[in-house]
Amino acid sequence: MSTAVKDPAPAKGPAPLWSALRELPTNVWSSIFRNPLPSTDLERASTSFTNFFLHLHPVKVHRNTLRPGYTLGLGLISLFLFVILVFTGVLLMFYYVPSTTQAYDRMLDLRSTVAFGVFLRNMHRWAAHGMVALVFLHMCRVFLTGAYKKPREFNWVIGVVLLLVTLFMSFTGYLLPWDQLAFWAITVGTSIAAYAPLMGKQIQFVLLGDTTVGQEALLRFYVLHVAVLPAVLTLLVAVHFWRIRKDGGLSRPEDGEARGAVPAGMVQAGVVKMRIEPAVESAKRKIYGLQGFVRGPFTKVGNVPDDSVYSWPNLLMAELFVLVLTISAILVISLVFNAPLEQPVNVMHPPNPAKAPWYFLGLQEMVSYSAFWGGVGVPSVMVGLLLVVPYIDRGAAGVGRWFARERLLANTLFISLVILNVIFIVIGTFFRGPNWAFVSPF
Amino acid sequence: MPLETADRGRPVALQEGNVPRRRMMAWLAGFGLAGSGVLAALSNWFFFKPRVTYGPSARFSIGKPEDFPSGTRISRDVERVCIVREGNRLAAISTTCTHLGCIVAIADTGFACPCHGSRYDQDGNVTGGPAPKPLPWFKLTLAPNGELEVDKNTQVDPGTYFNV
Repeated sequence: MSTAVKDPAPAKGPAPLWSALRELPTNVWSSIFRNPLPSTDLERASTSFTNFFLHLHPVKVHRNTLRPGYTLGLGLISLFLFVILVFTGVLLMFYYVPSTTQAYDRMLDLRSTVAFGVFLRNMHRWAAHGMVALVFLHMCRVFLTGAYKKPREFNWVIGVVLLLVTLFMSFTGYLLPWDQLAFWAITVGTSIAAYAPLMGKQIQFVLLGDTTVGQEALLRFYVLHVAVLPAVLTLLVAVHFWRIRKDGGLSRPEDGEARGAVPAGMVQAGVVKMRIEPAVESAKRKIYGLQGFVRGPFTKVGNVPDDSVYSWPNLLMAELFVLVLTISAILVISLVFNAPLEQPVNVMHPPNPAKAPWYFLGLQEMVSYSAFWGGVGVPSVMVGLLLVVPYIDRGAAGVGRWFARERLLANTLFISLVILNVIFIVIGTFFRGPNWAFVSPF
Repeated sequence: MPLETADRGRPVALQEGNVPRRRMMAWLAGFGLAGSGVLAALSNWFFFKPRVTYGPSARFSIGKPEDFPSGTRISRDVERVCIVREGNRLAAISTTCTHLGCIVAIADTGFACPCHGSRYDQDGNVTGGPAPKPLPWFKLTLAPNGELEVDKNTQVDPGTYFNV
């Protein structure tokens, strides 16, 4: 394999056919993969930036960003769940019809006639719930480690928008089975939109394409769910990732502390020597391209005391581990638990109580006190606070550490709001019975 | 490229003769693009706001007055309206909860919503729960064929009955 990189000496005279045939496998392989499996640092770097699928990664990453206990891999799990959702979602599209007369029958067909139909729907449903939860947890991680601080303010803003798009994705998908749960959850959800000031009723009308939830609403939600929102989400995810690199890589614990927290076995490429050398000296011997001349907060080569490791294999192994973990979790959950499917839509008989999906039950609980404040006012204020927090909380201390003492106030406020939200969700889920009366689950 | 040699010492803005014109073109192009962006957003709004809906009509017949004996309160869940008759007076009260759009059920005291516990009296006034407004009353007329017609697009003041 390694012989493939060097061109063979030019053949004298016409090349015999048999030697072309003999070299066919090698030539095909080397035309696809520009590099052999890397064994030197140069080859490790080359592997990362000459491969389309790998060049998303920087050639090198700071070793502290690889500490599993720092990021917990939450953002990566969210991404992998989205990938699972795209794959299973496209497969489900082959059997689904967005029609009020056929949608529910197609759900039953998934159970009875489609090979792996139930399993695919389970995977899609649980990955969707998982993605909502993981995106939220990822946001908590970023906040509690202060990772939204300069220069990463705008990436935090994109992240908040991604959370909203994820919620809207889940909400639009909720209607598609056209069962009782779907119909009444969307009836309640879109009525909340009608409480928005000035344009509320208009927004609800445009969202539903009619005055009540019906065929038009099903078609609109379907198009949003399978085309518009995934495209928006993909674009935003791309910008989100691109900005990680342009903002100087992930935020991370400072160099001095917790050295060696990465298990020694994880770091395979030369790190120790470079850290000791003066930066200028090491830079002279390095081979680098354009990125060496770029100014700004970018991941730099050679002008800082180097504590970075090669993405191949260190980062890739970590990502592969998270991928395997995510897929196995979804597979196991989908084998054990079936996605719920209630009775077909009956416009005359709302279930009592009619409950929204769990991540909106906190909202629904607040709505039961005041429709405007619970459904529009408080959520708007919350989202507004999330959007502006990196521009208000400007202190630079405590970035890159969980629960930094310098960030006690911000972290306390954030955790309080999270706990409040969780309490509302728990009350809405377990403590509300018919007519939304308070019941005890015990 | 030859800025340092040939144009040394001249004000930067004048180094290239066509800069103001070029800048104006850029401004115009930018203005045009922004304008068409606004127009596109507006036209999208009108595109997405349907001119015709395919759902049930807001004006519909409910049958002859004799179908509603005096003293009855008949809830028509498909049309989401409750027909009330007292003596010769008829009224059509909405059964769509003003809170979040569930269908309210007829209760002994008036109406009760199964979703979030809103309660209304016989005339649709709020007596409990999170509902912000009373249930609206709809216009009721007698069509030439002798059937009652409800117009959900036209609300009337609560207490306005139609006499037959």
